[in-house]
Amino acid sequence: MPSRKKKILEERSRRWRRMERWAQGWAIYKKNFLGRIGLVLLSIFVLMALASFIPPLVDPMYKPMSGVDPEITASTGPSFRHWLGTDFMGRDLFSQLLAGARVAFTVGIASAFVSIVLGTLIGMTAGYMGGWTDTLLMRTADIIMVMPTLLVVLILAALFGQLNIWSIVLIIALFRWPGVSRVIRAQTLTLKERPFIDAARVAGASHLRILFRHIMPNVLPLSFLYMTFRVTAAINIEAALAFLGFGDPGTVSWGMMLQWVWKTGYMFKAPYWLLPPGICISLITLSFYLLGRAMDEVLDPRLRKEGERY
Amino acid sequence: MELWRYARQRLFQIGIIFFVILTILFILFRIAPGDPVSRMIGPEMTTEDAAHLISQLGLDRPLWVQYVYYVKNFFSGNFGHSFHYGRPVIEVIGDRLPNTMLLFTTSVMISALMGVFLGKIAAWRKGEKTDTVMTLLALVTHTVFLPWMALILIWIFGYRLGWFPINGMISEEVWLNPTSGFFAKSVDVAHHMILPLLTLSLIYFGSYLLIMRSAMLETLKEDYILTARAKGLTEKVIRNKHASPNAALPVVTSVGLSLAFSINGGALTETVFSWPGIGRELVFSVSNNDYPLAQAAFLLISAVVLVSNLVVDILYAYLDPRIRY
Repeated sequence: MPSRKKKILEERSRRWRRMERWAQGWAIYKKNFLGRIGLVLLSIFVLMALASFIPPLVDPMYKPMSGVDPEITASTGPSFRHWLGTDFMGRDLFSQLLAGARVAFTVGIASAFVSIVLGTLIGMTAGYMGGWTDTLLMRTADIIMVMPTLLVVLILAALFGQLNIWSIVLIIALFRWPGVSRVIRAQTLTLKERPFIDAARVAGASHLRILFRHIMPNVLPLSFLYMTFRVTAAINIEAALAFLGFGDPGTVSWGMMLQWVWKTGYMFKAPYWLLPPGICISLITLSFYLLGRAMDEVLDPRLRKEGERY
Repeated sequence: MELWRYARQRLFQIGIIFFVILTILFILFRIAPGDPVSRMIGPEMTTEDAAHLISQLGLDRPLWVQYVYYVKNFFSGNFGHSFHYGRPVIEVIGDRLPNTMLLFTTSVMISALMGVFLGKIAAWRKGEKTDTVMTLLALVTHTVFLPWMALILIWIFGYRLGWFPINGMISEEVWLNPTSGFFAKSVDVAHHMILPLLTLSLIYFGSYLLIMRSAMLETLKEDYILTARAKGLTEKVIRNKHASPNAALPVVTSVGLSLAFSINGGALTETVFSWPGIGRELVFSVSNNDYPLAQAAFLLISAVVLVSNLVVDILYAYLDPRIRY
């Protein structure tokens, strides 16, 4: 058989196997009721984030940050003109809520991605190299782990002045990799002892090749799982920061909305303003959390058998 | 004596970690834009006072001498003067620390005990309605945004029903009244503490419940549980005496790991309820640019986290003799 044809066939069967694996994973995921709820909730939030571009196009007064209804000077309840009512300046709460979904996704996913990349690389290096590298990296992880992230960001805000949304994202990411790196390191340690790594080494593969070609594909699903939990952490920290008044003043996040309702004294008067942002933060956290738990079940066969054995 | 050696070893490690945090903070305060001297010397100070404080903190010396002064001052409790309060930082912190410790330790204990107790029951009734309800409740309360939960509780129980005070730690009419004794004062503090405590416990018991539940399910598969069954012990004895003490171990670990996380929550709760603790003081000092106070509050909070970590580690080693070898 000509080798080109063989290659194409091989490639085809590999792709087939990969699809099969996804299908199997999905079959397990589908059985998890809470996981399905998580996915539905998450899709609603994605739709909200996408829809956030629409209201400002309808009328400039629906701009979440700068749009003000000229006829309104104080917070008003829901009406046909403003579905969720307006805030103290006459800005539309519904369009703020939609914009908040966009901010939450941006902050959550960007910061989770950076911390996962860091955590995976550091964990893999520590586990694979061992010795001094391992000790140094893991002790650093220990130190970062005991520092309360929210308070660290507060101190940095005090020293460096107002932080913009991207520096907040970066700081959260820099302080949230240790948990991931511990898990990845443990996984790498067990992988390292497996025969296929020895085989690769005997075949003359370099350390970098072994790390990225043989170990990384095996730890990536785990990293991906941890990403869902990091997303929730990042969203919550940003929201808490905004709530305390240290958020990026140029963005409308749900935490910011809660800060406005709290600080302007509308807390007891305007449930239409107090309830939606809090419910959104809580539900988006819940949905990522449920997603993570269901994915955990897909990745860890032990969890699946739980029901059968006892 | 094994336990003692382990404790000493952990204490040593924690000392190093604290030193690193101390150093990082020193560096941050020097590399941040602006003048480091003006960061420690308040704008309203007289020239003499300022000069005195500068020499006391070593701010006119080379950087490495400043570092030596900084470490020395930390251990002798000299953090400079708070800009906002106009008195030594150590006094402000000293006033706030017990309040934070009270709220923090009670809430960690309540949520851990709640988690262990309910998780045990959920695992025991796996698949039944009790289990489903409890797991769902844990998942939902665990993911609620903490400050929002606090606001909602204030709205319902403080404002609508009027059962609890909505902020602060004490009411003046009780504390200024010379006739009210220790008991009345304690009741007053407890009354103020219920809502913050409820907020923190509701948020944090969920994760402990879930951990306890899965650890318990794991334990129930062990051979010694089968042995206990074969001996004809009652279900209650198996559950409470054989399974749950072992299953509770991961909860202890998780308490240790989530301490930094609970401190974040503690700071938020203190701020929303105006509870006079260190967390709220840190948030305030950051808004007021009260650098000496912010620095000291951060260091003290890190120390609290580290010491609690040590306590949890020792507790764990005490509960699980395997860890010491």
